[in-house]
Amino acid sequence: MVSETPSIDLKNVSKIYKGRIHALRNVDIQVHPGEIYGLLGPNGAGKSTLVKILMTVVRATHVEGTMLGDPIGRKSTLTRVGYLPEHHRFPHWLTGRQAIEFSAALCKIPRVVRRRRTNKLLEQMMMTDWADSRIGTYSKGMQQRIGLAAALVNDPELVLLDEPTDGVDPVGRREIRDILVEMRDEGRSVLVNSHILSELELVCDRVGILVKGEVATQGSIGDLTADSQRYEVLIAGDAPNWLADFKGSTIEVPDAGTKLVIPTADPESIQPILDRLRTEARTILSVQPFRESLEDLFLRAVTDPESGLAMKPGANRKRPPKAAPPSTPPGDSGVGS
Amino acid sequence: MIQTLALLNAAYRELNARKLFWVTMAISLFIVAAFAALGINERGITVLWWEFELEFVNTQFFPREVFYKFLFANFGIGFWLSWLASILALISTASIVPDMVTGGSIDILLSKPIGRTRLFLTRYFTGLLFVTVQVAVFTIASIVVVGIRGGSWEPWFLLAIPLVVIFFSYLFCICALVGLLTRSTIVALLVTMLFWLFIFGVDSGERFTQQGSIAYEMDLEQVQLDLEEAVTMGDPVEVTAPLLEVVDRTQGSYDTWSFVHFWFYSAKAILPKTTETIDLLDRTLRENAGLDLPFPDEGGRRGPRSGNMFGTTSFIRQRDIEQAFQERLDERGLVWIIGSSLLFEALILLFCCWRFSRRDF
Repeated sequence: MVSETPSIDLKNVSKIYKGRIHALRNVDIQVHPGEIYGLLGPNGAGKSTLVKILMTVVRATHVEGTMLGDPIGRKSTLTRVGYLPEHHRFPHWLTGRQAIEFSAALCKIPRVVRRRRTNKLLEQMMMTDWADSRIGTYSKGMQQRIGLAAALVNDPELVLLDEPTDGVDPVGRREIRDILVEMRDEGRSVLVNSHILSELELVCDRVGILVKGEVATQGSIGDLTADSQRYEVLIAGDAPNWLADFKGSTIEVPDAGTKLVIPTADPESIQPILDRLRTEARTILSVQPFRESLEDLFLRAVTDPESGLAMKPGANRKRPPKAAPPSTPPGDSGVGS
Repeated sequence: MIQTLALLNAAYRELNARKLFWVTMAISLFIVAAFAALGINERGITVLWWEFELEFVNTQFFPREVFYKFLFANFGIGFWLSWLASILALISTASIVPDMVTGGSIDILLSKPIGRTRLFLTRYFTGLLFVTVQVAVFTIASIVVVGIRGGSWEPWFLLAIPLVVIFFSYLFCICALVGLLTRSTIVALLVTMLFWLFIFGVDSGERFTQQGSIAYEMDLEQVQLDLEEAVTMGDPVEVTAPLLEVVDRTQGSYDTWSFVHFWFYSAKAILPKTTETIDLLDRTLRENAGLDLPFPDEGGRRGPRSGNMFGTTSFIRQRDIEQAFQERLDERGLVWIIGSSLLFEALILLFCCWRFSRRDF
């Protein structure tokens, strides 16, 4: 699925408000065609700012890189991009159908095509019955569906969704997840901002965690949680004294029994331990493979390693230490502003 | 083209959805209907089937067509469209820019492949569309009423459409600027009203001091003539010395009025000229459509000694001052009245476009 030209290739994105609030600091992110990329982070981490920079809603203090092969900030590129803003608000006097068609027209889509696509999207979002009612009469979830339809009406190659499931019921969330997967299967790139980590975990190929305007970590969920993969063997009675022979293994004592923690993702590696336990006629209560969830990963990323507490929300107001300006690769088509 | 049509279509829907638009339209049509219900004959005026005998308001003083033109120019345009309807239009359109730049709404618009300047200006002209439709409906209906009831089909009335729209645009650019900077409809509306009050104050001050300046200019001419006459007649110093004092005092008053007028005039030169823009319609109708009204009786407006409100030494009739004042106003060209006002508006819009283009949302 991964091609050589990323849909989004961002380097050294910085945004400083009023000369002192560092919303983003040297952010590097790549999103590949046919990939769903989840952008995570606590409140005020800079997720929405990053997406707004891509959509020309916010001007970056410094940005290099490309979106769909064009420099960041080029308006014409936006005809190929779909965007669902957080807390979006269509004029309440428009009907759902009119709002989608309005978005399509602003993307320069001819009338016949936009009508056809609008009908199809209304059906896909299950909003056909409400299509000709005014948006002012819609529930939050219905507005979100119309917003999503408006984001997709230009048949985009890249879709940026800021909290797409906000206000949507569980059935709707499931449908939106299915739409995301469908878009990925069609070869589109999707960048999703969301606080609902369990949902992202189900659909994202890769994730990036932003903390105080910096990328704390990014990669595939499998890669990011590889270090945390282990097997947990729960036995009755005391811990065997020979476990130290198995490198990195530890012992935990829960309420009932003893838990042997073996740091490996390979089931073959734990067979000698199980054999020895059986040889000693110990009772094996359970054997479970374990891997960090996205939530564990997220919490680890947003926890201050020094204090062990979650970092305060919001952007960093302190000035960063002076550093040499990042070098621009030759031939890079990115723009600074 | 597709984008522009979409924005205009959205503007039309927005107007359609605003109740105040239809309320204003209904009041406009009601006023035109009231014009139609009014009539004038040789004995007085009529309202539907009632007749009111009036000594000075009848066809012996006012030809029928002048009566209707007067109603249109003074009440229809001078009072309704340039005051009440404009206030209603401002209330109704003040939210256009703040609504656009509200979070959630602006993201949708800016994330489309359309330039920010074009987007802002399209929204701005949406507000003007509100007034254009209102004035057009009122004016065309008035033309029909004056044509049928007054027997005079007057195409010059159509000039009211651009003039009232231009007049409204002077105020709306301030509304758009404040709305853009503060994102608040209430603040935009209040500041615009205060601005309107301010330019009205400057305009009134300029008019008043201009009349005062004219009054003392006339006064000075008169007292100088008196002095010259006394000198020519060989009057003794006892007679000419007080006259000389009067000339000096009048010169001083004239200088003071002229000085204050200069500052009002300078301030007005850089500000939009709302009243004079609307007065252009009067001027045009007087010059081209035979709207020549008799001046009011001078007796009621004459001061006890000077004959005017400025207390001049010589007897100068208020009517003469007003006539001279009107002549000076008529000398002011379109470039000074509309050109400088539009320049002010263009500078405000330029700043708005620059700010809108540079701002993060």
